[in-house]
Amino acid sequence: MNHKMEVDARGLLCPKPVIQTKKAVDQLESGVVTTIVDNDTARENVIKYAKSQNYRYEVKQADGFYYIDIYKTEVMFDSEILPQTKPKLSEIVILVGKNTFGEGDETLGEVLIKGYFYTLTEMEPYPKSIMFVNSGVHLTIEGSPVLEYLRALESNGVEILSCGTCLDYYQVKEKLAAGGIGNMYAIVETMHKAKNTIRI
Amino acid sequence: MLEKKFYVIAFDSTHYAISTEKKLAAVGAPITMVPTPREISTSCGLSIRILDENLERVLEALNGVSKEGMNLFRIDRTSTENKSVKLEWRD
Repeated sequence: MNHKMEVDARGLLCPKPVIQTKKAVDQLESGVVTTIVDNDTARENVIKYAKSQNYRYEVKQADGFYYIDIYKTEVMFDSEILPQTKPKLSEIVILVGKNTFGEGDETLGEVLIKGYFYTLTEMEPYPKSIMFVNSGVHLTIEGSPVLEYLRALESNGVEILSCGTCLDYYQVKEKLAAGGIGNMYAIVETMHKAKNTIRI
Repeated sequence: MLEKKFYVIAFDSTHYAISTEKKLAAVGAPITMVPTPREISTSCGLSIRILDENLERVLEALNGVSKEGMNLFRIDRTSTENKSVKLEWRD
């Protein structure tokens, strides 16, 4: 059995680096998978994958490329490292598919979405994750009317994920101001693991 | 956001709430549009929340605006008896 594998994901677009990394890790019983990527988004996504699986990882940078070593046997227990002061999160995942709330008048929809996120900050337990897709990503970027609420939720351990494809499509990736970037794999996986997904 | 004490203006009508928020935002008054806190039972679902340090500025901005259909409340979530108290508008 091979204990070392290398995935050269340079030049590959999201979500291919993660798919190939996952394939390599799955093939390996134990050992190290080194994924080489050439951009920040791919690096973040591979790291996110490693974290989601509780694998220890190391990132090195050389010649303008990122080398991410993922260690399969060594499990990283977040709960042992972090103090247990965070409020309890519910098993609920929220999928936000647009930047207004409900169908109908836009102005009212904007008022309601602000109210929705404000109220989320007041209701514990907080959801486990909030994921933003399509025009929903306008809520996680600079100038968003709900930014302070998202940051408050994030600081309480709620995962905030924006769809990378969507940020790209609306050309607002540089303006991301809360949470991280995820791909469809992260979104689908989060929904499948959730006890309950609420679609906004 | 998680302040336990603040002021709230509750409205009789949603349209009035939205137009007042726009008016206040236009003059840079530091307010937040929020769903009406549960402590207040009678009014439409939208309210304007004002932090203590901003009350004077907001009241100033509302000078000359009719207060009909607009109620000012003090919310105190630390209180065990009256978590909301209706206040009088001053002239």
